[in-house]
Amino acid sequence: MAPSELARFEALVLPHLDAAYTLARYLMDNDDDAQDVAQEALLRALKYFDGFRGDDARAWVLAIVRNACHTWQRTGRSHPVAVEFNEELHSGAVGDEHPEAALLRAADREAVRGAVAALPLEFREVIILREVQGLSYKEIGEIAEIPVGTVMSRLSRARRRLARALSSVARERS
Amino acid sequence: MNCADFEAQLDAYIDNELPPAVVDEMTEHLGACAACARSHERQLALRRALTQHAPALQAPPGLRASIRQAIRAQIRPAATRRLPGTWKLATTRASAEALTDALLASHVRSLLGSHLLDVASSDQHTVKPWFNGKLDYSPSVYDLAGRGYPLLGGRLDYVANHAVAALVYGRRQHVISVFLWPAERGPTAGPATVTRQGYHMLHWIAPDYAYWVVSDLGSTELREFTQLLQRADSAAARPDGR
Repeated sequence: MAPSELARFEALVLPHLDAAYTLARYLMDNDDDAQDVAQEALLRALKYFDGFRGDDARAWVLAIVRNACHTWQRTGRSHPVAVEFNEELHSGAVGDEHPEAALLRAADREAVRGAVAALPLEFREVIILREVQGLSYKEIGEIAEIPVGTVMSRLSRARRRLARALSSVARERS
Repeated sequence: MNCADFEAQLDAYIDNELPPAVVDEMTEHLGACAACARSHERQLALRRALTQHAPALQAPPGLRASIRQAIRAQIRPAATRRLPGTWKLATTRASAEALTDALLASHVRSLLGSHLLDVASSDQHTVKPWFNGKLDYSPSVYDLAGRGYPLLGGRLDYVANHAVAALVYGRRQHVISVFLWPAERGPTAGPATVTRQGYHMLHWIAPDYAYWVVSDLGSTELREFTQLLQRADSAAARPDGR
């Protein structure tokens, strides 16, 4: 790669390393895997940088990170520790569908991280892209390769799961 | 606006994804309905909990350093780099040989499970746009499921210093990789065939694209498949689209 192209890569893509690591860290189950996958994705981005013609380098990099995370999970290179979200176990009793705001306010760091980690990958990625990275539905759709309508419904279902999980944790403690 | 409409659009309302007219209706309903105001408040509480406890992170310094180091290792003298936009991938016998090897290696590697697909979909309208912004051309993707060659998806590959599109089609348990990139010279008549290590490789140049098809599928069926591709290509090139 020519030094000028490299400089362009460093100027356009490297500023998004924090975003890339953030996505990887929330999608992977442990920090070692997250760092490995972020590094792999950035080098992959470098390899394909020739072909990058868009104007949104952040979305482009995040899409590569997201694909790399999915590939890791699929090929079983990571060691999953998060348990599948169990609707029975984590949802409240009937009639408790709407947790009160006070319960959510009481949620602490451990509970929030646990609830996020327990989300299935396809819900977790839209939540992270929206809540943590602040991307628009359109950008999220492009990164996750789903239509905007699906982004909307996945976000909404993911938030319902999070709210239920957090309020049930809060109830157990009180 | 009724409560059901409000509830259905509440996420998009808080995410600032609604058109201004709907936003006004939502805001009006919010002021008038105590039940919906409560559910709005619950949503905000959840967002605050997430913002507070699931923050954006900073890449560890070690990761940053190791990526920078890996990037620096990629520097090559500018003179050896090909000019962008030229696709002289195989102009000599030796480079043709190297290209054949590289394509076969890419196909075989993909089957080893490391990197078969970047985008997995049987829908051509999902696969084709996926390459937007990743390549400086948009590969032709066809739905050949009706002819027994379902589309499985596509991946980006890196061949002879270029990112190229590889489309993946299936035939029973066989996988067919279709590599294509902008043609650097005029079209050729029929596919030329190479057989290597039990894989058939068919190559031809259509008006727009140079094609390489690689598979362990029997040569009769693989020829049928390439004919389907060629027919789809020439149908797509006709101005009336038929």
